[in-house]
Amino acid sequence: MPTLALPPATEPALLPGFNENVLETARSGEPALLQAKRTAAFEAYTQIQNPEAFHEEYRRLDPKKFKFGSFTRLDIPREAIAYNARPVDEHYDVVISVTPDGIAIEDRADVTGGKVTVQTLQQAALDHTSRIEQHLGTAIRSEEPRKFFELNGAFWNVGFHIHVAKNANLPKGILLRYHNDREGTALLPRLLVTAETGAEFALAEQFTSPDGVSTLCISCREFHLAPNANVKLVSLQDWGNVGIHIGEDWARVQRDAKVDLFSMTLGGVVSKMTVGCNVCEPNASAYLGGLFFADRKQHFDQKTLQFHSAPDTYSNMLYKGAVKDKGYSVYQGIIRALKDCIGVDAYQTNNNLVLDPGSRADSIPSLVIDADELACSHGATMGNLDPEQLYYLRSRGISEPEARRMLVLGFFEEVIERVPFEVMRDRLHEVIEEKLNPFARD
Amino acid sequence: MPELDTDSKLAQDYKYGFYTDIEQDTIPKGLSEDVIRVISAKKEEPEWMLEWRLKAYRRWLKMKSPRWAYLDYPEIDYQEIHYFSAPKKQAEGEEMDPELIKTFERLGIPLNERESLAGVAMDVVFDSVSVGTTHQELLEEEGIIFCSISDAIRKHPDLVKAYLGTVVPPGDNFYAALNSAVFTDGSFCYIPKGVRCPVELSTYFRINAANTGQFERTLIICEDDGYCSYLEGCTAPARDTNQLHAAVVEIVALDNAEVKYSTVQNWYAGDENGKGGIYNFVTKRGLCKGHHSKISWTQVEVGASITWKYPGCVLMGDHSSGEFYSVALTNKMMQADTGSKMVHVGKNTSSTIVSKGISADQSSNNYRGLVEVLPGATNARNHSACDSLLIGRECSANTFPYIESADETAVIAHEATTSSISEDQLFYLRSRGISEEDAASLVVRGFCKDVFKHLPLEFSVEAVKLLEIKLEGSIG
Repeated sequence: MPTLALPPATEPALLPGFNENVLETARSGEPALLQAKRTAAFEAYTQIQNPEAFHEEYRRLDPKKFKFGSFTRLDIPREAIAYNARPVDEHYDVVISVTPDGIAIEDRADVTGGKVTVQTLQQAALDHTSRIEQHLGTAIRSEEPRKFFELNGAFWNVGFHIHVAKNANLPKGILLRYHNDREGTALLPRLLVTAETGAEFALAEQFTSPDGVSTLCISCREFHLAPNANVKLVSLQDWGNVGIHIGEDWARVQRDAKVDLFSMTLGGVVSKMTVGCNVCEPNASAYLGGLFFADRKQHFDQKTLQFHSAPDTYSNMLYKGAVKDKGYSVYQGIIRALKDCIGVDAYQTNNNLVLDPGSRADSIPSLVIDADELACSHGATMGNLDPEQLYYLRSRGISEPEARRMLVLGFFEEVIERVPFEVMRDRLHEVIEEKLNPFARD
Repeated sequence: MPELDTDSKLAQDYKYGFYTDIEQDTIPKGLSEDVIRVISAKKEEPEWMLEWRLKAYRRWLKMKSPRWAYLDYPEIDYQEIHYFSAPKKQAEGEEMDPELIKTFERLGIPLNERESLAGVAMDVVFDSVSVGTTHQELLEEEGIIFCSISDAIRKHPDLVKAYLGTVVPPGDNFYAALNSAVFTDGSFCYIPKGVRCPVELSTYFRINAANTGQFERTLIICEDDGYCSYLEGCTAPARDTNQLHAAVVEIVALDNAEVKYSTVQNWYAGDENGKGGIYNFVTKRGLCKGHHSKISWTQVEVGASITWKYPGCVLMGDHSSGEFYSVALTNKMMQADTGSKMVHVGKNTSSTIVSKGISADQSSNNYRGLVEVLPGATNARNHSACDSLLIGRECSANTFPYIESADETAVIAHEATTSSISEDQLFYLRSRGISEEDAASLVVRGFCKDVFKHLPLEFSVEAVKLLEIKLEGSIG
């Protein structure tokens, strides 16, 4: 059966810079549980072939572009460093800040300790051993092994655990802020989120680096939603102009629970993002929102998987992208309904704007359906801005660049309006406007 | 003669599953340069054709069979196949065997011109050779050439030389290379400048001998302002071993030319346990070479145990257009991976894809398509709609469209749905006194309507009947 996954390796397959020695460094001084988890992930990682351009998943993004070998894994000190407040922080209850110098967890609204846990994974492995043992790196895999999920599992250099207890909620939510300004380094953040029955909260994540500093990031997030939980995540990939990003997000959603995963890809030079959700009990639902805007030779590749492993499960997906100035975007998504999963309702939409000559967009939505009595559909469109809409605006005295700006913002608004944090929505508008402004070019 | 028991379920299901016991001239199993020389000699081909075949064969030896499709079948042993088989009397150039005429009558294909459908000229291929072409005189008056490809190679070498392999080059893919090396028969159509072909051109392909492969090669050339409509039908005896059919069809349409190509594919599909059936690995491609040219594919795929087929159009000429309408039905243990490829090269080109997949029983039905807009293909337009209907819990339906746009003026829209026959529709019909089976069949017919309306009339009636027979017992 053909799959998107990389085939198993006949002999251990290691990527440059991620070998046994680096694993030993990562393991040293850690709780035994985490050491065991890292070793297991390392084993799995070596048993999957290294990505090559001839593999179906990498046909449209040559893995050579990840430049493994020119980055060394950052060794981030585990001791907390001083928290450096920023104006936007007031919109969140808890702010986690990560830089190559160390990490800071700031509980601004005094919510943690009781029903809400926000800890480093090392601390959580000591305080909540059984929960970490049960969840870390376990539940959220598709039927297919993932190379970078396992790589991150073995080599993550900063990890957090967020847990919200039964029926608890967070009024404002949590911000995770990653900043890397060290040339030639690799950041591997890991996030484990567990939501108990009825828990409700939102997370925001932001990745930044200065322009001109080459960095690699291999990020991995896991979400475990117990019945009736409701979790939202918005992740903004806003690296400087030479950042390289690989991301894997996996969510496992139980009965009556709902997850919203927003993946916004705007920065960096090469980005490969995979988002998967497994709606595994009746009435579980998932919403995947995506926004990508590739300009100035940026190459963005997004993969989504809506995995329906139980009857009467729901998922909806909307990915909107634009390309200009030799940008190249790839969207590839799968809706998968397993045998006997009747009553599934799944939808997939991918809209693309190709704004100028020389840019390219590929769209590959797919349906893999092994059950009847369900409704799965997808739609994909490609085109430039509608000349009639442009004409309408122009005839009302709006200049052409302004009219284009309005139409592109309007195009993306369908995704942005669902994003949970106002500050995030503002930031998204800002970045898109920068990309549209011809005078902001370097 | 292993005649089927007419009361058996199989015979009702697939009335074309009989075998004609006539003397056949079959070459031994196996594939080598010598076998190709033998085939070429039997066809009395010129030297250049043999060289062309050998070149393709050497290329094929270096290729691997494609495994990316969503299909599951064992490796094929290419040395276990007879590459040439012909009815003996025909091979000796005598009158047509009455047994053969009877066979085709049984298939509903009268070879006798008086009885044949008035508006259809037929070329009939039996295993590896063409056994007859009707309405030759009428066509000759118009300057139309319609004959078997072997005849064309002998009689019109310049035309064949100029176009053969220009749309599907021998190295295009594994099966195209194999076909180029060993192709035996198929049709050749040439529509001269300004001629609208007055009749439907049609080829009927019949596999009869056991363990043979059929390697059909069809070439259609339509010159400036020409028009033709071509129909293709196929059947094979019911056997419990698999047989290979690897065809290549090439169409070239010059300025303002229009070609309509319709297929009703009803190869033997194997029994309910998946035993036997034809492997249908086909490369079909049209080249809209001239401006304002148009190529339209309409297919009704109801047979073959495994189908691997992506009829497509290369829209080279400015303002050219390509169409693809397909109904693919799979039942029992059938597997199909089929769809269309539209490559936009010229300016102001447009393409339409309408694909309806129906899967029943334990079958797997996949749509796989490509819409590619190359840089500079200004104002390309595409609309694709792919719907799948699932009947039964054990079947699967998958959709894999690939959309690649490298031009900012292109407008592409794709939509796909997968669902079962809705309870509401059934209830509505049932409450009007229509039996469940009839209601379901009505819904299926409605589902396929968008495609059937593009078929020539006789084919359209035939297709509806075929669908009903195939779905009997699966619905309700």
